[in-house]
Amino acid sequence: MPESRNSRLARPETLTAVGIIVVAAGFLVPTYDLRAISALLPAAMLIGLIVLSVFLLLADQRKASAGEDAAPMTTSPKRVIGAFLMIVSYALACDFVGFYISTVVTIPLVAWTFGYRSPVGLLIATVIVVGTIWAIFDFGMSQDFPTGRLWGR
Amino acid sequence: MYSDLLHALPDVFAWTNFAAVVIGVIAGIVVGAMPGLSATMAISVLVPFTFGLEPLVALGLMAGIYNGAMYGGAIPAVLLRIPGTPAAVATTFDGYPMAQKGEGGFALQVAVVSSSIGGIASAFALMLLAPPLSKVTLLFGPSEVFWVAVFGLASIIFLLGGNPIKGLISACFGVFVSVIGSDPIYGNDRFTFGQLEMLDGINIVILLVGLYALPPVIDLLETPLKTDGVNSSKLGTEPIWKALPRMNYWKTWLRGSFLGIWIGILPGAGGSMAAFMSYNEARRTSKHPETWGEGEPEGVAAAEVANNADTASALIPALTLGIPGTAVAAVMLGGLLVHGLQPGPMLFRDNPDIVFGFMWQFLFGAILLVLLGGSLATNSFARLLNLPRPLLGSVIIVLMLIGVYSIHGRMFDVYLMLGFGAIGWVMDRLKFPLPPVVLGLILGGFAEENLRLALRIGRGDPLVLFQNTTSLILVALTVAVVVGPTLKKRFIDSRKKA
Amino acid sequence: MLNIFKKSAIAGAMILSAGAALAEYPEKPIEVIVGYSAGGGTDVMARTAAPFIEKYLGDGASLVVKNMPGASGQIGVTEAANADPDGYTLGTFNLPGMMARTIDREAGYDRDSFTYLANVVNDPNVIVTSKESGLDTLDKLLEEAKANPLAVTVGMSSLGGDDHFALIKLQQATDTEYTIVPFKGSAPARTALLGGHVAMGILNISEVAEFQDQLNVLGVATNERSQFAPDLPTFKEQGLDLVNGSMRGFIAPAGLPEDVQAKLIDAFSQLSDDQEFLDAMAATANPIEVVTGEEFKQLTSDLYDLANSVWQTTPWN
Repeated sequence: MPESRNSRLARPETLTAVGIIVVAAGFLVPTYDLRAISALLPAAMLIGLIVLSVFLLLADQRKASAGEDAAPMTTSPKRVIGAFLMIVSYALACDFVGFYISTVVTIPLVAWTFGYRSPVGLLIATVIVVGTIWAIFDFGMSQDFPTGRLWGR
Repeated sequence: MYSDLLHALPDVFAWTNFAAVVIGVIAGIVVGAMPGLSATMAISVLVPFTFGLEPLVALGLMAGIYNGAMYGGAIPAVLLRIPGTPAAVATTFDGYPMAQKGEGGFALQVAVVSSSIGGIASAFALMLLAPPLSKVTLLFGPSEVFWVAVFGLASIIFLLGGNPIKGLISACFGVFVSVIGSDPIYGNDRFTFGQLEMLDGINIVILLVGLYALPPVIDLLETPLKTDGVNSSKLGTEPIWKALPRMNYWKTWLRGSFLGIWIGILPGAGGSMAAFMSYNEARRTSKHPETWGEGEPEGVAAAEVANNADTASALIPALTLGIPGTAVAAVMLGGLLVHGLQPGPMLFRDNPDIVFGFMWQFLFGAILLVLLGGSLATNSFARLLNLPRPLLGSVIIVLMLIGVYSIHGRMFDVYLMLGFGAIGWVMDRLKFPLPPVVLGLILGGFAEENLRLALRIGRGDPLVLFQNTTSLILVALTVAVVVGPTLKKRFIDSRKKA
Repeated sequence: MLNIFKKSAIAGAMILSAGAALAEYPEKPIEVIVGYSAGGGTDVMARTAAPFIEKYLGDGASLVVKNMPGASGQIGVTEAANADPDGYTLGTFNLPGMMARTIDREAGYDRDSFTYLANVVNDPNVIVTSKESGLDTLDKLLEEAKANPLAVTVGMSSLGGDDHFALIKLQQATDTEYTIVPFKGSAPARTALLGGHVAMGILNISEVAEFQDQLNVLGVATNERSQFAPDLPTFKEQGLDLVNGSMRGFIAPAGLPEDVQAKLIDAFSQLSDDQEFLDAMAATANPIEVVTGEEFKQLTSDLYDLANSVWQTTPWN
């Protein structure tokens, strides 16, 4: 059964190939401002990426014509997107609110959201991890972690 | 010189100095075993702290950490397919399949024994051959180093995986990332978009943590609650002395040690290249190459022996010439400077007790690895990684942030790592091979820099690249590695037909 | 030179007695931002100097070194320039690099962004040649360079640094031309020299001191012989006016309260008379030349003008 035009273009490999071509072409622009010798290697790699991605695109479309279904990237997109969002917000929180507060919140939050619901286990894990980090890095090695830009340095 | 070596021995056994090595090895294994934390990061965090310590205590800690971490990196590489350090990438090839087959315990034992053997060989090279080997380093000017880099890049063709187009895309991506930063000759910006943080280029640890640690974390969170498939009861642990007779990899160990020492004394390439090359060579000469990549213990042995064999040898150019052979050795050089140990020929004369003591510490670190690593790894770390999946995932996220943040002490690197993580997840799902990215990043810019230096020395004449024996040998080797396997295959095919 | 130190010491002592009555600076730990990783030359200078500065500030003062590496020190110095000028944030400062960066790229600071406290290290340039080149005297080198312009290859660390300015001064003074081979850092350049891959090198005296037997050291770019290696001749002795070096010191953001500034400068100026400090710096290969306050500011300004004039005629990127 041939796929519709839309779903043919929405195949993961096709999308990736198109993405690489667009991004690599975008990066080619600044190479014009460089000396020829400086631009040589990066330009060669970008052009290589574009050419290879065209091959990848053609190969994937040929598979589509042959009626091969593309394997989906994930079976549970909600969980994947959720995981990515949580990781990014954790990084942002460290930056703006401070490392220790964010970590104390994130460890149990992530573990609870994704299915580990034992309150005692969460408490113990959080205390052990944060405590160890503090003891080794802050107390032992006097390493500073972000204190949060919101509070001013 | 050899009497100096013996003279330094009693100091090494002073209890504080010896304890430093023991603590260092344990700390190194822990750091290496934590996905996201690397030896480079651990030693750079340690250096300011060592200002107040006795030289041999500080150096003992560093020697121990370096040795320990190069093995520790194998633990998550085997159990989770996350290389704990850049040098453990090649360990994932066969280590993870072994763990899936329920041979994780044996894989870790092979790793620890191989690491230890590599470390011991390397320490002996440092102790006995440092001055002559530093002469070898001097043979390598920019044009020779360029050919070494090309040789390394050529070995990417063995890492392309099932789909060569995807493999080449990975390689191009890696090489492109390596040119980000300031131009090696003129110093003008390339693709930094005005960000000062990118001027020094993309640190390998940032890329590695993003590409290799983030996708498995997403995997851990994606599948609903269930303890990790690889748990310690299935690790197949048996006492290490019972496992030893099953390890008959003398050829691989010998070759891997030699390669590791050799790559260590050349400036800049480092442990990952040693491990890749040792793995490729061992597979090429194996009687049953088809089992490689599906859980061949010898593959773990090849990778682990080589990534420990360059630890002490990377210090040979660092101590004698001031040019570190690996990123970790570069950070350690800072630790030496703090104690007034200036690299150079005088170092061995002015501070023999400290320098030779440091070498002994490398040797003992490598030996201690079997004793400490054997029991530690199989008993405790394997169990730690056996936490409920969501909890394990969330803890790794925190470790990734710490590991990347601590390299330079800035959040910018963390965001960069997350960007690479997103790319890594797509690559992982679409089965783009990751090793070519790593090798491309390590060697791409390195090859470019040395090519352009060589061309400047030759004032633009490309013939400068072929003007001496060392260069020509390297060119021949590269050609042999690239063309050799195809020729051999044709030869065998034609004989079959006949 | 000595006279200046004596004067500033007396002036410092007077200010100190007055200042103690006025304010209790420092009331909290003082942060010193180092633009390089721990274990680098600048970091070692800062950490070696810190306890001595604490001693001279008195009152249980404490200095905390904070490493902000990246972009050849530019990230750290920008941070220091933009910090609150309350005396609780200081920074390390490298010349001519920090000034050259304001010329060859966008920088978040300029020469007026700082309160100049003290330059502590002056590591003079040296010209060396490889044993294989056969150019074992300055005359032979200049003769060869004149006979075959661009034939002599010069290994040094990156363009726009002190090595590069020393080479430009040499070219201008002797009307010669060389092929520059800019390595990433001095150690690789020195290694290429040891291996005979380049003929000549411009390095710093601390970087060649350990290698005197393996290289020909032709001269040192100082006015008088360096105490760091007194057996090496200067260029002036050989009739060539070439003085240049790499400098490292301490700055604070512009607009420091006057009493705080005076107290800090006073503490730094006492470093040069402290034998214990001099020994500690010698052990880590840091040649000392303490220059404080206005004099340091003038030095920076002169170097900026030099870098700028070079940039106008021969931009390096």
